Amino acid sequence: MRTVMADARLKTLLVLLVLSLYVRASKYQAETEDNDFADFEEFDDDFERPYQGASPADGGGAAEPERAADAGRAAAADDRAQQHDGDDDDDALVEVPVHRSTNWDKFYVEMLMIAGIVVYFINFVSGKTRNQKLANAWLSAHKNLLESNFSMVGDDGKAEPGSGAGLLKESENMYTLWCSGRVCCEGMLVQLKFLKRQDLVSVISTMMKAASDQVEIRVTMNAEEMDTFVFCLANKKSAARLAKEMTDISTYCPERKSAERFGLPAHFSVLSEIHEAAAAVLDARVVAVVNKYPELVEYIHVSDQYSGPKQQLDDQAPVELPKVKPTLAFCFNLPGRGRLQPADVETVRPLMQLVLYMVDRMKRCKLGREGRLKAEKNRLRVQEIFLKQTHQSRAEKAQAKREEKRRLEKERILEVRDRDGWRWGANREEDPEKQRRLEEKNEKREAKRRAQMRQMKVKAL
Amino acid sequence: MRLGSKVRMSTVNSSDPRRPARVTRYKSPLAVNPNSSAPVPGEDPTADYMNVLGMIFSMVGLMMRVKWCAWVAIMCSCVSFANSRINDDTKQILSSFMLSISAVVMSYLQNPEPMKLPWEMLS
Repeated sequence: MRTVMADARLKTLLVLLVLSLYVRASKYQAETEDNDFADFEEFDDDFERPYQGASPADGGGAAEPERAADAGRAAAADDRAQQHDGDDDDDALVEVPVHRSTNWDKFYVEMLMIAGIVVYFINFVSGKTRNQKLANAWLSAHKNLLESNFSMVGDDGKAEPGSGAGLLKESENMYTLWCSGRVCCEGMLVQLKFLKRQDLVSVISTMMKAASDQVEIRVTMNAEEMDTFVFCLANKKSAARLAKEMTDISTYCPERKSAERFGLPAHFSVLSEIHEAAAAVLDARVVAVVNKYPELVEYIHVSDQYSGPKQQLDDQAPVELPKVKPTLAFCFNLPGRGRLQPADVETVRPLMQLVLYMVDRMKRCKLGREGRLKAEKNRLRVQEIFLKQTHQSRAEKAQAKREEKRRLEKERILEVRDRDGWRWGANREEDPEKQRRLEEKNEKREAKRRAQMRQMKVKAL
Repeated sequence: MRLGSKVRMSTVNSSDPRRPARVTRYKSPLAVNPNSSAPVPGEDPTADYMNVLGMIFSMVGLMMRVKWCAWVAIMCSCVSFANSRINDDTKQILSSFMLSISAVVMSYLQNPEPMKLPWEMLS
């Protein structure tokens, strides 16, 4: 789709170029009295002025070069008339001097624009290298820990595994790292989301509104290692956002509760499907780490029904439930509130240890019988609601299909009739017979459909 | 001693969480459905917005010979360039730059007067 768009744009560009050239050419042919060409007349004056001095008819022409730019149109016409009298005979001899006395200081707005663009690019280069440095610092701070936990650290999905792809650059401010080959989990995706230091506009906007660099970690678990529950611990702002955006949280546990009863700071909320599970996840060690870095933990999301943010499909309702994977998702802020130094990255290593601890912990977080029953019931209920919702759209689709079929049938009848109308001679007796048969068939089907509809209505009642 | 080393080996194995046999390869979230027009959730749309905005501004700059529009178009393509993803189409960024630069060049070819600021236009 992108390439198509780019092609279309290239085409429009060409067309526009040709068009504007054409417009320019035709304007030249038009009358010079046109108001737009006042500027060109002024420039013509500049060209002609130097040899005015040579002409005998000219009085103080040479003494007034400054006047040229501001001269009114009447004056310009006057000058030209004078000149024309003077140099009728030596027209061919005089060389036209090249005009290069543009007043550059009048273009100060343009200078400002160009300076702005230059500053933008300088900032681009410096911000880009800074983000790169931070990413490398993060990797070197965590490399040992990751390598002792995962048999593959860094993969781009293309080269041979273990070729040491390291961090993958998604854009100038986003780096990803894929780790895999560990007990309990399928893989871990680390996304380093730095501030857009390469973009001057966002640099200015972060000055207005503070933001910080973030690390998002998503661990895809093995299905058998995790029990069925949805749980999320998040600070208040992200809790509201997650409850709205994430499919699993919004369906299973949309209500937010204060986290204070788990011994956590007041700015955290807990969204939990099964209370028992929340208590199991927030054990002493997790609580201790969160209490140690209350500013850095953005959210911890544990879910067996993880399917990411809600899909926004504008034209139709979803026909099937989104694919779910048992997942642990974490988001941590990096220290410094946007003024992160490469040396600071070291201090967040305990958070990565927390991630690995929780991955192992999930194996032991088993629900009791009651909790499991409740979770099962919830999942069944969601499934049922979904089927009910999509029933309508599925029925509509089937209906549209039937309509289309009927339309085709009708067209066929009409065709036969038409052919019968204008074709005379052979097989004339055959065709009405065929048509009658088709019509009969159609009527039967119609009657059947009506009966079905009646049945459906009765059922609905 | 042999027994001891065996025991140690097994303890090392059970405490080492690495499982080379269970490595799964990285799948880019974009690679799952590269042809779908639906935006990948959680992705930054700034680059695309700026691209479209830059196109609109350069159109206006070209058609109506509004100089500041052409300059704004260049700025927009700069922002779009800085925000673009690595695996984005470079052709698109290049064409947006070309379009905006040509808008500036054309407007100055047609009217080589310096740009006037809005308050100067009024007086």
